[in-house]
Formats: sequence, structure tokens, C-alpha cells
Amino acid sequence: MTISIPTTVIIMVLGLIGIGIYALLTTRHLIKVVVALQLLVKGAMLALVLAGRLTGQEDLGQSLAITVIIADTIVAVIGMALAVQVRRVIGTLDLRSLTSLRR
Amino acid sequence: MAEQLILLTVGLPWLGALLCWAAGDRHPRLQHTLAVSFSVAAGITALLLIPFGNERLLVTLPIGGAFGDFTFSPDGLGVFLAAIATVIGSLAVIFSVDYMRGEAQLGRYYAFVLFFIGAMVGLVLTTNLLLMFVFWEITALTSYALISFHNDDPKAVAGGIKALIITQFGGLGLLIGALVLFAHTGGYDILAVIANPGLLPAGALAWMAFGCLAAAAAKSAQFPFQTWLPDAMEAPTPISALIHAATMVNAGVYLLARFFPAFEGVAGWREAVMAVGMLSALLAAVMAIVATDLKRVLAYSTVSQLGYMVYAVGAGSVFAAQFHLLSHSVFKALLFLGAGAVIHSVGTRDMREMGGLGKKIPFVRLVFVIGALALTGLPVLNGFWSKELILEAGLEPGNPLWMLIVMLVVSGLTAFYTFRMVWLVFYGQPRAELHAHEAGTAMKVALAPLAIGTMTTWLLAGSFSRLLSESLPAQQIAAHSTGEILREVLTASVTWIALAAIGLGLAAWWQRDRLAGIGRAFSGLGKAASNSFGFEDVNRAVVMITQNSAEKLRETQTGMLSVNVAYLLAALIVVMTILALGVGLP
Repeated sequence: MTISIPTTVIIMVLGLIGIGIYALLTTRHLIKVVVALQLLVKGAMLALVLAGRLTGQEDLGQSLAITVIIADTIVAVIGMALAVQVRRVIGTLDLRSLTSLRR
Repeated sequence: MAEQLILLTVGLPWLGALLCWAAGDRHPRLQHTLAVSFSVAAGITALLLIPFGNERLLVTLPIGGAFGDFTFSPDGLGVFLAAIATVIGSLAVIFSVDYMRGEAQLGRYYAFVLFFIGAMVGLVLTTNLLLMFVFWEITALTSYALISFHNDDPKAVAGGIKALIITQFGGLGLLIGALVLFAHTGGYDILAVIANPGLLPAGALAWMAFGCLAAAAAKSAQFPFQTWLPDAMEAPTPISALIHAATMVNAGVYLLARFFPAFEGVAGWREAVMAVGMLSALLAAVMAIVATDLKRVLAYSTVSQLGYMVYAVGAGSVFAAQFHLLSHSVFKALLFLGAGAVIHSVGTRDMREMGGLGKKIPFVRLVFVIGALALTGLPVLNGFWSKELILEAGLEPGNPLWMLIVMLVVSGLTAFYTFRMVWLVFYGQPRAELHAHEAGTAMKVALAPLAIGTMTTWLLAGSFSRLLSESLPAQQIAAHSTGEILREVLTASVTWIALAAIGLGLAAWWQRDRLAGIGRAFSGLGKAASNSFGFEDVNRAVVMITQNSAEKLRETQTGMLSVNVAYLLAALIVVMTILALGVGLP
């Protein structure tokens, strides 16, 4: 049995998104949340490339993916910076103690 | 040219709002100057827009996508209401210079007033129903913010929240109308459905018609939503004059008049509109007779007069409704600003403590009496001509006669409560030691044009009817000259019956001591009236239920990331399921 390339990519996409959502649902640590978001968005990016390939608009899909990479890097950087500040000001990275945004 | 003028009329007040806020509360003089200059500039651009009223232009701002293009049409109905909003708006702002002197946080005050004026202009000029809904909600929000301007006063805060919640119910009706229109035509174009109501199936059109009636009733404080307006009187008085007498409460009447050609064929709609107007006019007039707070009397009389306009639309005369709207805006703004001058002068709103103020503040008495005579409907002030036109419309074949008789009785009640109010405030013996001082210069500058307008706007009847008939073909308004309209009013039998009713009302006030026995017999009615005939409780229950359920819903906002992600996931699954199953219109 041969597995085609699109099938492999779809499995990858679903896997990444699944892991990302699972992590977002379960984790309580701010840095892990940033990592989970990265996984989730990478899955979506892969889906964009695949969609471009399947509809014959490969260049569109890839350029969208590059845009997502850039935006996502910014998200990661700001998320980490936020985490550092939260740790300094509030003293913890546990999301349960951050619900009210109060010190 | 028209395009720039429209953008300026909406944009100038909004720009002024930003600048007033940015000027900072440490520079009150600058804030006064900015607010006055921007509102006056907007008034001038709105007046310049009037000549475009009969050219039937359509100005389009292409947006595309699901919202449709943002279209504005400066037709007769639109430019006339835009002019009222900006001109009376600028007079209210000028009045505020004296009235609000020394108040803290003027930036917040002027920013919201100017934001409101711009939104009101947008609301009446746009022909995109979704955009109209957005402007509609902005006016509701600014009205809430200004009623609760003195946010350290619990009554003001409660009044604002009540007004917001009740008008939101009406907003839902308008949103339903907009969504029904979109579902069936794929756009939000008002003009299309007015030109051809057959675009929508009868059932959908009925949903839209009654949704709009609910929206109009809530916005114009009509039955059964009438109790928010008296509570809104906690606002600073220029706000009551501008938003709760001259402009925002007219939006409901405007909506009914705008959609009249589309909805008149809907079974039962016209009768429902007439009934809503008649009940509001009657109940509010009775409540005004027993109220003791000067501003509340004026608020009840506003509900009552708006009832006349709604009744006129239902009776089929859009022109009479809009003409009375013009008269009412001018004389009611005059009455409110006059009442503001009285309140500013003596420091109380309770009429039982006033009395004999006329000698101390003769200028205010003069303009207030002019406004009161127009409200009563005595010739030759503007209120007389427009009210008689409405009563004449009620006489048209097909309209129930008993409703007309009720409206005639209401005009007698109007005369009674108006004279009671004027007498309690300005005449008789002083009932309390009040120190009164005459109105300031800015107040006089705002009051004088309104008093002159009250005496003269009826002369515009001819050009106004021509403007409306040329720009609104679907409304089927016949163009008449001023002379023709005046002759028509003077020769109608109903005019003289109405004058007799007004005379009876005046006579009843004159002989009030002898009629005291009858008054006592009706004291139960008076008690019911001061409690708004039980509708106060219904409205209060609605507000309570809304607030309690909002409090309950707050528990769903945990602030926990994982919970929010779970909600997102659930919503995604629901949407995917609906898409997979496919959707059809009802």
C-alpha cells in the first residue's frame, strides 16, 4: 500500500492542530501556551501550502504561508516577552492565578 | 459637492468630539469654543445640504463584501432631519456654555454630545439598513452615557441603564428587520424595498414591518416602552432638549415614515401603528397632569406629542407627521431649554416649590409661554397648524373615528397640563424662598432663535411639502403651497372641534377649584397615572431580568484559557455541523 503525499500532509496537519488544541485545553503554564499556539499555527500553515498545491495556486499558498511565518514569529516574541513581564510582576506563570489580570 | 457636504455633516461633529476630548479638562474655555464652533459648522453644512434635497442623489462609499456599499441619500426626509439635528444641536451646545459652566469633565460631556449629533445625521441620511442600525445603536449609547453624565448620582445611573436596556429591545427589532432584508435580497438597500415591497414574501415583510414598529416604539418612548423617557430626565437639561425632545426620539417616527410605502400593505400594520400612537398620546397626557417635576411633565408631553406623529403615520399622512415633527422639535427644544434656564436659576425641578417666578425672570417666561402656547396648539404658532393637519389626517376614510375622538380629547388634556405647568412655575404666589437670577447671555442666544422659530416655522409648510413630494415619490405626498395648506386647515371642521377641546381644557384649569370634587372622584386614576398605569413595573421587571441574567452569564467568563479554547472548539463543531447539513431559509 502506498501513501500519497497529500494524505501524509493532511495527517501531519491534523496531528499538529490536534496536539496544539489538546495542549491549549490542558496546559496551565504560560510558556507552554505559547509553544502550543506555535504548533497550532504551524498546522494551519501547512494546510495553506497543501491547499495551494491542490488547487493549482502553489505560489499563493506558499506566499500566504510565509506571511503566516512572519506574523507567527511576532506572536511568539511578544508572547515570550509577556511571559517574562508576567513572571516579574506577578511572580508566577500559572494561568489559574492570572484569570483576573490583577496583582 | 453633495458627497463632501454629507461627509462634513457627519465628520465635523465627530472631529469636534475628538478635539474636545483631546483638549483636556484643564482648558474648559477651549472646550466650550471647540464644541460651539464645530457644532455650528455642522449646522451650516446641513443647511447647505437642503438644496440637494430634491435632486434625488445617491452617494456611495464602496465597501463591498457582506456589508454592502455604504450609501447615503440626501432626500427631503433625510436633509430635513439632519438640519434639525445639527441646528438644534448647535443651539443646545451654545446653551450648555452657560448651563455647564464650572462642571467637571466637560470633555466627556461635549465629546458625547458631538458624537451623538454626527451619528444622528448619519442615521437619517444613510440608505443602508445595516449602517442605519449601527448609527441607531451609537445614538442609544451616547444617550445612555449622557443620561448618566453625573455618574455619582445613583438615579442618573439607573435612568441611563434603563434607557439603554429598553431601547436595545427596539434595536433588536431593527436588527431582525435588517437580517430579514438581507436574507431575501442579499443586500441592505432600503430604497429597493421601498420602491418594490414585492421583493420580500408577505410573511418576511410582516416580520420586518413589526420589527421596525417595535424599534420605533422603543426609540420614541411609545406604548408600551414609554417609561424610560421620564427617567432619562436625570440628564443635564440641554441633553434632554437635544436628545430626548428634538432629535433621537424622532428617529422612531422617521423610521416609520421612511418605510411607510413598504409596510402600508402589511395586514394590521397601519392599525397597530395608529393604536400605539393613540395609546401613547392618551396615557402620557394623563400622566403629565399629575406629575410635579417640571422636566417630567415635559417628558410626558414629548411622549404624547410623539404619539400624535406616530398616529399620523398610521393614518397615512407622512407629511403631517413630519411637519409636526419639525414644529415639535423647535417648540419642545425651546420649552426644555427654557425649563433648563428656570432650573439653573432656582436650583430645583419641583414645581410645587416654584410659583411667581415670572416677575424675576421675565425673558424666560416670555419664551416659555410662547413654547407652551405652541404645545397647546393655539393659533397661530407652529404647533397649531401641524397638529390640526394630523387630526385632519385621522378623518381620512378608512381610519377609525373613535381613535380621532380620543386624539381630540388628548388635545384638551394637553391644554390642561400645559397651563397647569406654566401657572405653577411662573404665576401665582411664590411657594418657597427661591433666589432666582435671569438667564445668561449664551442661554438667551440659544433661546431667542427657537422662540422666533416657534412663531414662524409654519410659514415653511409649502416649501416643505414640495421638498418631500419631489424627493419621496413612494410616499405619495401631494405638494401644496403654504396658502393652500393654511386654507385647508382653517376650513376643516375638525380644526374647530379641536379648538373647542383646547378651550374646554383651558376652562377646566380656570375652574379647577370648582372641579376639585370631580378631581377627587378620579384620584384613583391619578394614582395609577403617577405609577404609569403599571407599565412602570413591567419595564422595571424587564430591566431587572436583563441585569440579573447578565450577572448570571458573567460566570461563563472565567478568564481561564482552557475553558475559552473549549468554547471555541464547541462553536467550531457547531458551525461545521450546520455547514455539513446545509441551511435553508425559513
